[in-house]
Amino acid sequence: MIIPINIATSSSTSRLPPQFAQFGTDEVVLIEMQGALDVEGSPDGQFVGKLTVDDETKKPTLLIGHHLLEGKLVNLPKPLAVMHRGTRNSADVAEDLGEEDSQSIESSSNAPSWDVVAVVKRKMVFAKRPMPMVGR
Amino acid sequence: MVEFNLRLTTNSAEHSGSYRILELPPDIHKLIDSTFDGNAGLSIKGNKDEDAVLCTLDKTYALRSVVLSNSVLVVTPPVDASGDPDTDVVIQDTIHEVLELVPTLPRLQRLNGMLRGREYDEGHDEDEDIVVDDSNGHTRSRSKLTYDDARSMLQASELELALGLRDRHILILDGELRPLASSYLTAILEFLLTALVSYSLSHHSAPTEQVVTILEQDHEVRSDVTRQVMGWFGEFGEDSWKMNVAATVREVGLGILRAFRNEPIVEDQFLAKWRAAVGDTFESSVDLILLLGNYLTNRQPLDETAPPLLTYFPASDLPSDPAGRFADLFLTRARWKAEEISPFLSDIVVDNKERDKLLLKYARGITDSQGIWYTARAKQG
Repeated sequence: MIIPINIATSSSTSRLPPQFAQFGTDEVVLIEMQGALDVEGSPDGQFVGKLTVDDETKKPTLLIGHHLLEGKLVNLPKPLAVMHRGTRNSADVAEDLGEEDSQSIESSSNAPSWDVVAVVKRKMVFAKRPMPMVGR
Repeated sequence: MVEFNLRLTTNSAEHSGSYRILELPPDIHKLIDSTFDGNAGLSIKGNKDEDAVLCTLDKTYALRSVVLSNSVLVVTPPVDASGDPDTDVVIQDTIHEVLELVPTLPRLQRLNGMLRGREYDEGHDEDEDIVVDDSNGHTRSRSKLTYDDARSMLQASELELALGLRDRHILILDGELRPLASSYLTAILEFLLTALVSYSLSHHSAPTEQVVTILEQDHEVRSDVTRQVMGWFGEFGEDSWKMNVAATVREVGLGILRAFRNEPIVEDQFLAKWRAAVGDTFESSVDLILLLGNYLTNRQPLDETAPPLLTYFPASDLPSDPAGRFADLFLTRARWKAEEISPFLSDIVVDNKERDKLLLKYARGITDSQGIWYTARAKQG
């Protein structure tokens, strides 16, 4: 089985705001944090927290519920490709492979493929222990 | 101070698990950077029962997963009208592992099994339906393997596949892959050497079409077969062919050596036969170094001063997994000198560093006045 990898680093229509994009690329920023997000109720579209970037120090802070996380910009030793799984219908895949019929393609109706949506050389890391904020 | 709202995607079910992070070695990074949307020749290959590999147009990498203790959020602008791109940033997915790429040898071993029964030998001019017995005792026709079949079934890059077919002397006849029988290959090379001499053609620049015609008329070799063999053992120019003398002399030597797998031949006699087979013009290129990895030398038992004995012992017949390879090598000989064992490892390692790692893992090295000797490691309990 051959799964093609497409390069799609500049095909996104929307861009991230510049003060946030400086932690990654215009399309993707990777945020690293300890632990995992605990979601209550339906996750779709839910608000997670307020992310603030100080203009001068460029330090990011993230307020999630009662937790205040302080973070920083970390340069990556090796660049990371961010890949997004796409499924194309078998007719598109057949056309690319120059097949007359789709017999040699996987029997599932959608052949898997992956798009490289960004290559990031930095990430935003929240490594310090969160400080509980009570009241505001 | 700038503030953003960090939100989860509106489509968690679809996006969860749909992202991966891949660490890029410098050459792949450069490849991606120079491709603006579209095809960089990258693909992932493998069947469900194999470990996946990533292939560029000319290299193969094994994929290795590294689990992270932290979580990594993939954050993008909001999709469509689901949020305000100036203030909302959206978590598409949470990732807990990073994929690493490790350069690896192309995996072509399956070719041998896939092509069993499809050899091309002298006199196979018509397309026969080769009939084989399968495991149920029924006879059936062996199905043909095309180049496209090999490309989709083997974990190798385009270039490595082409080179692999070349190295294994696999012909493409009428769209089908056919390994050329070794004995016939040696015969064709000897026809080529004879033709160059008989018709006074220079091996630096022989007229291609004339050579093809000579072999067809004098020796009944199919023209498409001659052309492919010439391509393996030389370079084509404008209707001219420049023979790769070392490769051709080597293959002729191998052809003679193959007869001595079970019974050894005295080195001097072998060299004499070899020189005679290639003729005066190419005699000076005859050298045992060309055959490294295909023979063993042993001192003659009662006479230390007599020339050594050679036996045919090809690395390609040994197991390709490291444990199996070393087991066979130490069964054949209890101890090996470093220079003697290296040629029998070069086909299963990417570089010398990997070879040294394998020697460290599977052998015990002892240094004495004569150099480094390797013996088998005692089995760990």
